[in-house]
Amino acid sequence: MRKSWMKGMLLFAPALIAVGCASYPDEATTRGLAEKMVSTDFTAPTPALLNRLVQDRSQQICSKIADAKLTQEEAAEVVKLARASIRYPSGGLVGDWKIGDKLAHNGAGGRIQRGQLEKRKENGGLCQNCHALAPGEINVGNIGPSLTGYGSQRGNSEPVAKLTYERIYNGWAYAPCSNMPRLGATGHLTPEQITHLVAYLIDPQSPINQKK
Amino acid sequence: MRMNRGFAAACLACCATWGTVAAQDKAGDGLAIGRQMLAEDNPGELWIEQGKALFHGLRGPRKASLERCDFGMGPGKLEGAAAQLPRYFADTDKVQDLESRLLTCMVQIQGFQHEDIVKRAVSPAGSNGSDVEALALYITSRSNGMKMNPPLSHVKEREAYKAGEYLFFRRSGQTDFGCVQCHGEANKRIRLQDLLHMTDKKGAQEVASTWPAYRGGHYVIRTMQWRLYDCFWQMRLPELKYGSDTSIALISYLHHQGSGVVIKVPGFKR
Repeated sequence: MRKSWMKGMLLFAPALIAVGCASYPDEATTRGLAEKMVSTDFTAPTPALLNRLVQDRSQQICSKIADAKLTQEEAAEVVKLARASIRYPSGGLVGDWKIGDKLAHNGAGGRIQRGQLEKRKENGGLCQNCHALAPGEINVGNIGPSLTGYGSQRGNSEPVAKLTYERIYNGWAYAPCSNMPRLGATGHLTPEQITHLVAYLIDPQSPINQKK
Repeated sequence: MRMNRGFAAACLACCATWGTVAAQDKAGDGLAIGRQMLAEDNPGELWIEQGKALFHGLRGPRKASLERCDFGMGPGKLEGAAAQLPRYFADTDKVQDLESRLLTCMVQIQGFQHEDIVKRAVSPAGSNGSDVEALALYITSRSNGMKMNPPLSHVKEREAYKAGEYLFFRRSGQTDFGCVQCHGEANKRIRLQDLLHMTDKKGAQEVASTWPAYRGGHYVIRTMQWRLYDCFWQMRLPELKYGSDTSIALISYLHHQGSGVVIKVPGFKR
């Protein structure tokens, strides 16, 4: 009884797949429809702000749908583009951890509401939204890995400072298409701001590197 | 009709890949317990009667009620209508969600100006709420106890669903965010705020069954259109137009991902 039921399913399954699935639009059609929507369905106070919706090459590659995987070639291209994007400040890579501390806990800046761009002296670093920071801090997110003890674990040598700077400026140079925003490369943070975040992460005096 | 639904179901079964349902035990989570206690005495209920009065009242330049408005089950028939939205409407030749359909009726039947409704659709926090918020809640509440199950029989419904899926994963802007960056994994938070895992059936079902919701921090009813707008704001992207095709496509995707869930509104959000 059970066997014949399965046999029936096996016979019908390909037909159902052929008829049912074929009726969905293909990838190119879907992309065309969706991109047209994006181009008409948003407003911004200036054309430059509207351009935030336009994807660069890396964002296109990194927008894999559902379980689609990044190919080796695509990952290599994202890494290459990321490396080429990184700019360094004129001074040193390690700034002031006290400024970095404030920046790491600042989640404001750059948002658009009721026809206005949020007015701030500078954009926040957004770190607290996704990362655990100093020991004992409760109001922190967990989308990204914990940064508690970042410097205690790695030290504050020049290579560590450089790697840290680059991972904040454009983390896709090391982890292509990760969830981490390319904070420097997209212009959300300035190189100088990033040096303060580097200090906050690696300076032995920083709260992030204190024992609880 | 039965055939159509069968086809749609078979189609979903063979094409869609559901994530595994993750068992999330939140018994030990103090915040979750607090939210549960608040939800049991939901102030959002107060807006249902207001929405009902607005629906049946003679309003707008044409002094007409919304009783001629067709949400997919026939003029004025609201039972189960929200459980089958978004869907294709022949008169507008568009797939529409609840709120964009409501807009169509308020303009065409009652004679309101489109811009006026949109301008007032999202009410200020702490206010008495907007007409659209109360109406959306009332209409959705008439599907309480019914299962979310929007149709996929029309080609445009299937297009909206696939476009919504594409948009869910589309990254852009200075934060490189798409929806999936925050809503693609289980047990994630932004600061202390729990994020729903929407590529998982259970998480999507939470979305599909709880909007419109009473938002504790705003003291008003908030709708799905508002929820999407607010996400794009936080992502540092331009402002999503109320009732736009982008919003409808995303709602199509989420409602299909969460299909089968029993609707229970108003939801309660922090």
